[in-house]
Amino acid sequence: MARIVILGAGISGHTAALHLQRQLKNKHEIVVVSPNSNWNWIPSNIWVGVGKMAKSQVTFPLAPIYQRKHIVFRQAKAVAIHPEGDINESQGFVDIVYTDPTRVSEEERLAYDYLIVATGPKLNFAATPGLGPEGNSWSVCTANHAEQSSAALEKIIEALKAGERKTLVIGVGHGTCTCEGAAFEYTFNVEHELRERGVRELADVVYLSNEYDLGDLGVGGMIFAQNGFETSSKLWTESLFRERGVRAILRAHVEKVDPGVIHYEDLDGAHHTLDFDFAMLLPPFRGVEMKAYAKNGDDITDALFAPNGFLRVDADYATKPYEEWAPEDWPKTYQCPRYDNVFGVGIAFAPPHAISEPRKSPNGTVISPAPPRTGMPSGVMGRTVALSIVDRIHRGGEAKLRTASMADMGAACIASAGTGLRRGSAAAITMFPIIPDRRRFPGTGRDLTQTSGEIGLSGHWTKLLLHYLFIYKAKARFGWFLIPE
Amino acid sequence: MEPMSEVDRNIAEAPLPTKGTLRRRKSLGYQVTRFVAFNFRMMKMVTRAHH
Ligand SMILES: Cc1cc2nc3c(=O)[nH]c(=O)nc-3n(C[C@H](O)[C@H](O)[C@H](O)COP(=O)(O)OP(=O)(O)OC[C@H]3O[C@@H](n4cnc5c(N)ncnc54)[C@H](O)[C@@H]3O)c2cc1C
Repeated sequence: MARIVILGAGISGHTAALHLQRQLKNKHEIVVVSPNSNWNWIPSNIWVGVGKMAKSQVTFPLAPIYQRKHIVFRQAKAVAIHPEGDINESQGFVDIVYTDPTRVSEEERLAYDYLIVATGPKLNFAATPGLGPEGNSWSVCTANHAEQSSAALEKIIEALKAGERKTLVIGVGHGTCTCEGAAFEYTFNVEHELRERGVRELADVVYLSNEYDLGDLGVGGMIFAQNGFETSSKLWTESLFRERGVRAILRAHVEKVDPGVIHYEDLDGAHHTLDFDFAMLLPPFRGVEMKAYAKNGDDITDALFAPNGFLRVDADYATKPYEEWAPEDWPKTYQCPRYDNVFGVGIAFAPPHAISEPRKSPNGTVISPAPPRTGMPSGVMGRTVALSIVDRIHRGGEAKLRTASMADMGAACIASAGTGLRRGSAAAITMFPIIPDRRRFPGTGRDLTQTSGEIGLSGHWTKLLLHYLFIYKAKARFGWFLIPE
Repeated sequence: MEPMSEVDRNIAEAPLPTKGTLRRRKSLGYQVTRFVAFNFRMMKMVTRAHH
């Protein structure tokens, strides 16, 4: 009997666990380790952040699902990987520390035959002094953060109703952030809410980002074919900003967030301040803190993990100039090069480089988005690695690994711009491939027939539909596997 | 007054949707067709990603 340990129960880890269980039934042991007792449909945190959904609508407890599916669940965090075992143990194992309230701080050693690292990001608020809910700005990265943002926003709306003028700044809180799409969504949901509540006139809404142009979204922007023209996501997004009266400050690295004042540097190296009454700034991401040790106890963390803390997989990590970046640099199997039974999926794998063109200010400050790894590719990676492991268990170590490169995968991204079954709106975007390929698709880097964007009420319906479908799927209800990732 | 930044200028010069476009974005009938079309496109992409 093989034991597969999955670190992380987010979109990628949970998807992997469910597929492994479905394929392997109860003949092998599947263990999921996650410090949170709940699963969270993160894309809908945006709606929690404007008070349109309750936290309970975007989260649910994992333990009953895993119990029903005969998946072992450890509410704990992984702190170290020993891929070679140690002097007493020849099998690889992970050190975990319980966060389960009944066993807090208890430690356990969990041996594995296969390991999937799906630990997502560490929300690195510490990278910018004063950033985050424990500092001077809000976040929507977790359901709890989104709830706090909603309460703070409510206070601002009360003040606006009382006739006060307020500045709301929404964006990213560091020059190397990713997830600009989420900041974009929150900006337009807040703007929509202010209009719905009749207080828009007194509010200045500002989008603050590290993108070079609007519509970059960390994927280097997109070109769409529309009405007989090739239109850029830049122009398309600028049009939305104009229509909704939202100001944008781009090419910015937030250096510090003081109470009511954001300090930022721009790409010209100049330093600025921006006053605010409400700020929601996403943090930069890095890998979660985990160590790795060789059999003799030597620290091999740097060999297993990239300097940004993400797990090295089968990507090409050689440093090369932007002009030489190629689709082949991106991983295909998500297998760790040193240990063939260790895989990294979702946000946890180390990307070879960014997708957007890298830029630095004259002071050497990096001001360009890190590459996003959104829900759809994260789910597909989880499923692909699960099926590769199933193949290896059934057919032995020589079974060919399955592939799911972001250079050969499309993504759909529905950026909500306001809720309401009749009054809602969203920018619905599809792109193929995620990683631009200028050899296959000269000029735009992407397939124009599959890269599209449109704004409208139907985008909101799709986003809402996905909310219900993915929560249904994550609850492993009847026929869950028929819903694609 | 501060001079307009390049970004402000780009936004100020971006095309505004016409009344017809704004109406279509909210029109239930038209949006039902867009909903079907978008979901079809998304499903095509998803099925490709699963092979
Ligand atoms: C506000 C917001 C909005 C978004 N909106 C969209 C959207 O509309 N569409 C879209 O496609 N994507 C969206 N995304 C991105 C999407 O949420 C991610 O792509 C997705 O969550 C990545 O999945 P993951 O499994 O890699 O990580 P996560 O979902 O973050 O899961 C990581 C898991 O690892 C666990 N973990 C952490 N540390 C440890 C440890 N030490 N040991 C064990 N487990 C650990 C966590 O508890 C969690 O269960 C959004 C992201 C944000 C922040």
